[in-house]
Amino acid sequence: MNLSNLKNADAKEVAKLLNSSGREAFVQRFATLGLPHKKTEEYHYFDVDKILNKEYKTLEYVPKTIAEGDKVKIVDGIVVTAPQGLRINYETCKQLDIMHFDPLYFVGHLLSHRIIKIEIDGDTDIEIEHHFTKSDTLIHYRIVLSTQANRHATVHESFVSKDISNTLVLYGYDIHVAQDSTLRLVKLQTMKDAQYSMVASHKINVARNAHMMLKSFDFGGDQALQLLKVELAEHAHIDAGHLLYLNEDSKRGTVSQIIHQGEYSTSKQEAKNILDGQARGIFDALIRVEHSAKFTKAEQNAKSILLHEKAYMVSKPQLEIYIDELEASHGATTGQLDEKQLFYLQSRGISHLEARKILVIAFANTLIEQVKDTRAQERIKTAFEEVFYASNTNEG
Amino acid sequence: MSTTMKIENLQAKIGDKQILKGLNLELEPGKVHAIMGPNGAGKSTLSKAIVGHYDIEILGGDITYKGKSILEMEAEERALEGVFLSFQHPVEIPGVNNAYFLRTALNAKLKHEGKDELNAAEFLREMKKHLEMLGMKSDMISRSLNEGFSGGEKKRNEILQMLILEPEVIILDEIDSGLDIDALRAVSEGINKMKDGKRTFLVITHYSRILDYIEPDYIHVLKDGKVIKTAGPELVPYLEEHGYDGIEED
Ligand SMILES: Nc1ncnc2c1ncn2[C@@H]1O[C@H](COP(=O)(O)OP(=O)(O)OP(=O)(O)O)[C@@H](O)[C@H]1O
Ligand SMILES: [Mg+2]
Repeated sequence: MNLSNLKNADAKEVAKLLNSSGREAFVQRFATLGLPHKKTEEYHYFDVDKILNKEYKTLEYVPKTIAEGDKVKIVDGIVVTAPQGLRINYETCKQLDIMHFDPLYFVGHLLSHRIIKIEIDGDTDIEIEHHFTKSDTLIHYRIVLSTQANRHATVHESFVSKDISNTLVLYGYDIHVAQDSTLRLVKLQTMKDAQYSMVASHKINVARNAHMMLKSFDFGGDQALQLLKVELAEHAHIDAGHLLYLNEDSKRGTVSQIIHQGEYSTSKQEAKNILDGQARGIFDALIRVEHSAKFTKAEQNAKSILLHEKAYMVSKPQLEIYIDELEASHGATTGQLDEKQLFYLQSRGISHLEARKILVIAFANTLIEQVKDTRAQERIKTAFEEVFYASNTNEG
Repeated sequence: MSTTMKIENLQAKIGDKQILKGLNLELEPGKVHAIMGPNGAGKSTLSKAIVGHYDIEILGGDITYKGKSILEMEAEERALEGVFLSFQHPVEIPGVNNAYFLRTALNAKLKHEGKDELNAAEFLREMKKHLEMLGMKSDMISRSLNEGFSGGEKKRNEILQMLILEPEVIILDEIDSGLDIDALRAVSEGINKMKDGKRTFLVITHYSRILDYIEPDYIHVLKDGKVIKTAGPELVPYLEEHGYDGIEED
């Protein structure tokens, strides 16, 4: 399959190409948005043409019996293991967001006839591990994740791939954080060696009085974009943090829309970006406060450090406000490591490389340490160091 | 006379401005050298030149340490070879835990000497006695490096680093400025503890008070980028009384 065939296709052609009869409204919406390309705003800084304009193999998605395991393991879009007691089903998706801004959200849904539905019904911690094992393949799947009222759950998400190349993964969550519940989602993704590219397109509904905490840790190279649309009901809260540490000629980042719909909803979004090599980081984040969302609080901040003269950060925090009964702030800064601080460390016998690492970690730590689970925190720090050393060992 | 460090005809600039203008100074092993001189004379510039600070561009002359020129050495190499500067204005580094920093520095040195590195517990045990002597609360090392430290706390933290790293040439740039009486005593005690007849001290100061505690062997007067006079400690009361204007070049 070549997704670029969807370019300029009308609804009928789209339905045919994606084999998606019976979902006219979604098809129509996608046809209206059109396949993203260089000039599409959300994909402007991401080389989307390069990954869409390719012939990919496709897979049959045949559900397997789910074996018991300590984590939810999804291999090429099929759930293979899950912890005992966790409810996982394949269903046709009914709660799709017809107004999502991302065209590939619709492509992912239209391609994935059945979604993986995970219902978290207790105060639990679960791990979701995505495995990709096929080369030159388009892997697509959608996950619907929901919490129950009054429950507090944590999801740790990670990605595993080995010895593959040129695969494209289109996946994403439709998340429903139920009233008075909490969901923490911690994502750790290290990419390298052009094994796969990814577009992750999420939709998060945070119900009345519910809390969503989303922390993404994206390290390494290659191409990946996460697109988030978050809707906040009254008294709902989201705390989003994104740490990027990129090297080589990677292009990665976050495009997000956080929409305050309910009164007294609050949002906090913080991005920290460390760019090495010729990497390009993307933080294109809109917070929109609608008429209905009086007395909201919105806070957005992006800080970037460039470790190399060829590295580049696209930082676009934006506020779109339709009322004046609110508190809002946003800002973005980009700079280099502090020379004085580097020198101080070196003057104590710490090598230049180690000093850089210490300062870069100090910058990143405020975000990493927001992950309260110490094991997860260690895992993130280790992943960070591996990538850091891999791209910094040749230096004096 | 044997020499630990020899500075010969050193000329250096910061930006477009020449600050050191042919400075000569010899540091003897085991001795305490004090440098006094007016504001802006180049005292801090000299200390930064010795440790290889990026601000300073060497125009001529040489600095030799244990018989070898160190001008081409990176700052970290100079440190590993035993040259230490207590900064006049130590920098704050938010997010870097002080204990982690201190241990990393010590382990870099141990590794350089081919010795075993210390783990966190061993290190903290080592730390305790130093903290007590310097009158530092233990939370000082669990905080971020120098962040929000008072002036005196920063200076104590510099001395703590000196005690841990046990350097051979110790340059103290205004370690006594801004210290209260107790701190001055504690810091001086730390310095005296390091005197072992082999280590060399270069103490930059404006006040005689610290010199009462640490008893210098030599007083050098640095003025307009040069050392213009070297004498014994008897020069201190003279300077206190007459200032730098009346000093004749040697
Ligand atoms: N980064 C800099 N850029 C420009 N000029 C500088 C810089 N650092 C120092 N200078 C200048 O160099 C000269 C010498 O400064 P230095 O700090 O060495 O003096 P000092 O003898 O230590 O004085 P003090 O007793 O006030 O500490 C001063 O005129 C100062 O303004
Ligand atoms: Mg000075």
